[in-house]
Amino acid sequence: MIAILNSHGPLREIVPATRSLARVSSIGARAFLLEAPGEFDLAAQRRIWALSQTVRGWTDISEIVPGMTNLLAIFRETPEDPESVVARLLEAWDDARSIDLVGKTIEVPVHYGGEHAIDLPALCDLAGLGDREVVRIHHEATYRVFALGSAPGFGYLHGLDPRIYMPRKTVPSLKMAKGCVTIGGMQTGVAMLTGPNGWNSIGFAELQMFDPMSSTPAMMAPGDTVRFVPAWIEL
Amino acid sequence: MSAIDFSDPSTIALLADALTAAGVSGLEISRPGGQLRIVVAAGEETRIDVSVTARPDSRGVSPVVVRAPMAGHFCPGHLSGSAVSDSLPRPVSGSEVLGFVRIGPVLLPLNAGRPAVLTKRLAEPDALVGFGDPLFEIEPQS
Amino acid sequence: MIEIVETGPFNTVQDLGRQGYRDIGVSASGAMDPLAVRIGNLLVGNDEGAAAIEVQTFPFGLRFDRRTIFAVTGADGAPALDGVELLSWCAYTAEAGQVLELRHPPSLARAYVSVGGGLDVPAVMGSRSTSLRGGFGGNAGRPLVKGDRIALGDSADIVAVPASGLAVVEPVVALRDVFPDFVDGTLPVRALPGGEHALFPDDGDAFWSQTWKISSRSDRTGYRLSGEPIKPTTSIEMRSHGVVPGVIQVPPGGEPIVQMSDANTAGGYPKIAGVIECDLWRLGQARIGSRIRFVRSTHAEARAVEQAVARYVEDVRNTSAMVKRALRAMA
Repeated sequence: MIAILNSHGPLREIVPATRSLARVSSIGARAFLLEAPGEFDLAAQRRIWALSQTVRGWTDISEIVPGMTNLLAIFRETPEDPESVVARLLEAWDDARSIDLVGKTIEVPVHYGGEHAIDLPALCDLAGLGDREVVRIHHEATYRVFALGSAPGFGYLHGLDPRIYMPRKTVPSLKMAKGCVTIGGMQTGVAMLTGPNGWNSIGFAELQMFDPMSSTPAMMAPGDTVRFVPAWIEL
Repeated sequence: MSAIDFSDPSTIALLADALTAAGVSGLEISRPGGQLRIVVAAGEETRIDVSVTARPDSRGVSPVVVRAPMAGHFCPGHLSGSAVSDSLPRPVSGSEVLGFVRIGPVLLPLNAGRPAVLTKRLAEPDALVGFGDPLFEIEPQS
Repeated sequence: MIEIVETGPFNTVQDLGRQGYRDIGVSASGAMDPLAVRIGNLLVGNDEGAAAIEVQTFPFGLRFDRRTIFAVTGADGAPALDGVELLSWCAYTAEAGQVLELRHPPSLARAYVSVGGGLDVPAVMGSRSTSLRGGFGGNAGRPLVKGDRIALGDSADIVAVPASGLAVVEPVVALRDVFPDFVDGTLPVRALPGGEHALFPDDGDAFWSQTWKISSRSDRTGYRLSGEPIKPTTSIEMRSHGVVPGVIQVPPGGEPIVQMSDANTAGGYPKIAGVIECDLWRLGQARIGSRIRFVRSTHAEARAVEQAVARYVEDVRNTSAMVKRALRAMA
């Protein structure tokens, strides 16, 4: 009876996360998440990109999902020896050298302010800045696509000026429009779907960035550079 | 007396290979009464019956026998229910499942094919039955 | 062609899911009970990953406009063809004009209709599954409505199914040694501790020991569980990371969410555990309002179950093909 085989050895649930060591945990039996130690920055993400290239080449891998300074590795089947999988991932992380993906540059025209900028006043209050200043800070920065996820084609953009960081909402907007230019914590992005959204909207972009029928459905890819170009500022 | 040892797996494998090579896809041996049926499937629907069992006369007058459509284990009643101990005779519809012939995980449902009275169960639960073996006796109702 | 003659909301075309696009934010989708789809397809002579109809609201009805082999798998309860009751987990041949009807199942959640040749909707990113959130795939990226007509692929298997049907011993019976039965009406669901398990007090006891109810705010995206809220001892800021169906996240309110087939590709809530993949089909068959309990599992157990399921599917594939060949030869 396999069903009652529930004696638990000391599972490696969490590889101790110190300041310098990566951590590997499991999601179900086939997926393993490696989280990089240290800061949420481009240096860490470059090593995640390198790790992604390595792990993608493993023959027992079904799919990988690079996240924000982390990587989810989904295996074809439940590994016989999960400890060795953890060890392999940690070793691959240790061996991962920083790489810089050669990406394209995407310019996204933005209508700042206006009817979709529902959270701009709150952001101004939080930052203690005027709306023009907030908009200027947002469009003057250069962003890198760290990873895609959450919605088809949605790129998590790194490079937001700390002066306009704004925590995600505790109660999401129920029907935020596709195209809203948003800030979530220390990240920014463009909403890809109309629906519930916990990020803070400060503008709107018309640009189509996902086409399911295309051979390359997502416009953005990790490593790409993104600039927001003010097409219209309505304050 | 043949010198072939039929308990030797390699002999059986050799025979099976020879039959397969000859295009034989089915072999039925039943006892007692002696039936041998060799099925040669050359194409989608071609077959050669070397020896055919006596088939039930499906258009005959009562009673009629429901026979095994192929070899397997006989499972009377419904798998999930334990209501095998139905009191007989009882009326059944044409599509009602009387039982199954089980081949591994595959089940071949058995039914009367027409409204009838189920009068007898002719095989034991889980018995290994061969093609054409009688499983139920029914009296068709017009 | 088949024509939908009756349907509730949220019935969709699904296959085994859109694998390989999570890294661009595309959810896998796919059947909530993939095992039922695999077996249904094998019964009607398809590849196991052909597209089928997932019915989760009833009654549901469709009309065949040509001779078609079909099977209804997944939920309990009997489908009917032109009013005649049929077996589930059984392939039959429908004649042109006949109507298949599915009524509310007695205890399970989702039924699957597989048809010979599969549903011939366009593959989008390698799959025919409907992505409701993305609005693509399946039948024009939306749920089925009355009057929808769906083309069928070609099927070579039509002669092989006897009039009385060709069935299988269903998974819950064939695999009862590896899938523990309900305990006092509560479904045991096996899971492995997740990345933030250690943040919950007493080795996560409050999570593992209580019986959770699947709340009404549950759907193909996720099951929200109601029960005594559980809280981590410290709150941590998580960075967004990839997730897979089965992940059990604990949002600030303390009532866990199990992500299901339409799971978002990314998440950031603390993960207390993750359901082992081979138990997801049973969760997919659990209804709103029903009770579940999580059982701590191991990779070794998950692997053993996975292999038992693979053996069963392989056995169904080989034996059903053999039986069809034999029946055809003896016809």
